[in-house]
Amino acid sequence: MLARCPSCRNTFETERTGPQDCPSCGKPLVVPEAAVPSTTQLATAASEEQGTPWERRAELGLWRGWWETIVQVLFEPGRLFRSARLDRGAAQTGFAVLTVSVPWFVGQMLDRFLLRPWTQHMIDKLGASGPFGPLLQKIAAAGQDNSPGATLLIALLTPLLVLVGLYANAAVTHVAALLLGQAKRGFAATFAACAYASAPLLLTALPGCGAPIGTVWTIVLTAVGLKETHRIASGGAAAAVLVPYALLCCAVCVLAALGGFALRGVPS
Amino acid sequence: MKCVVRAGPPSVHALGLAATGLSLLAAAAVLPLDAPPLSLFACPFRAATSFPCLTCGCTHAFAAVARLRFADAFSASPLGALVALACAAHAAWTVLRLCGLGYAPAGFAVTGRVRLGAAAVLAGNWVFLVLHGAP
Repeated sequence: MLARCPSCRNTFETERTGPQDCPSCGKPLVVPEAAVPSTTQLATAASEEQGTPWERRAELGLWRGWWETIVQVLFEPGRLFRSARLDRGAAQTGFAVLTVSVPWFVGQMLDRFLLRPWTQHMIDKLGASGPFGPLLQKIAAAGQDNSPGATLLIALLTPLLVLVGLYANAAVTHVAALLLGQAKRGFAATFAACAYASAPLLLTALPGCGAPIGTVWTIVLTAVGLKETHRIASGGAAAAVLVPYALLCCAVCVLAALGGFALRGVPS
Repeated sequence: MKCVVRAGPPSVHALGLAATGLSLLAAAAVLPLDAPPLSLFACPFRAATSFPCLTCGCTHAFAAVARLRFADAFSASPLGALVALACAAHAAWTVLRLCGLGYAPAGFAVTGRVRLGAAAVLAGNWVFLVLHGAP
């Protein structure tokens, strides 16, 4: 049956009546015995939020669902974010972890085993001068371990770090959106935007320029995603995404440092 | 106004946020503050302006909360200490809900007054860091 959450106004399917949590915003609600009937509004909402290809992978197939989602989020982000269902948090988490972890791991391996001399030369040149010179030298020194143990550790840590980063990013973005009065449809809407917006991090498979390009693209897509999933104006969405980067300078640096170091091996 | 309401098992996002909070606290407990990677980074905002940013001191606050040194945590960053405690509380409550606790914290409307209060808290935290000298 279809039910509607009184907090986030999202409709969702449920098997039972009585007290339960909204799958979108997580807030508790009570589904009455006589479920909400399908109205025109519900039909419209259902057609808008039919699900992204990834959320419909059971009918499309895993590979096709993933690929169509990637293509849509990169080149038709508005359409993809409009179709995202807010009660598919687990699927969205899976998409982000899969889409970011694998290329990030590949990028790290390429960097370690194929491009190390070149990146080492760059780091040496950059580290020779400037205020961050010693820091860069230490980072380079910490990333020297190419043993099988370090590689295995990276493989195990990458999905965990992606998951932590995804939720930390969504939580900070949602708090910013709340403070700016832009969070209209609950945490699930912010999370959907952040999860699908992480697709450009596929570019982390390219050592060097891939990560910065992917990061900027991700920030832009997160703003587009917030606009569509929360049904807010572009300015508000951009502010909600950019305010944390401006205000939470240290937090962003610590997370970046932790992620970078964890992927470069155990620091000495 | 009720502080808790009846609820079923935690949602996926409640579990994800609890795992994230626990991971951050575990990292803060395990990683030493005076060794890489935490010792290597410097706040670019502070480097550029000599003023702390809003989250300066949060790493020390998380580390102190993870070691149950609450006075040190609040001294390093009141905001960081509160966030770390909120992470721990959310994780503990989520575990209890997984074990069958049928209650969850009641939500509240984020009104203009609440937003103003939150902005005042952030500003107060920053003033504290400036006056106290963030770690």
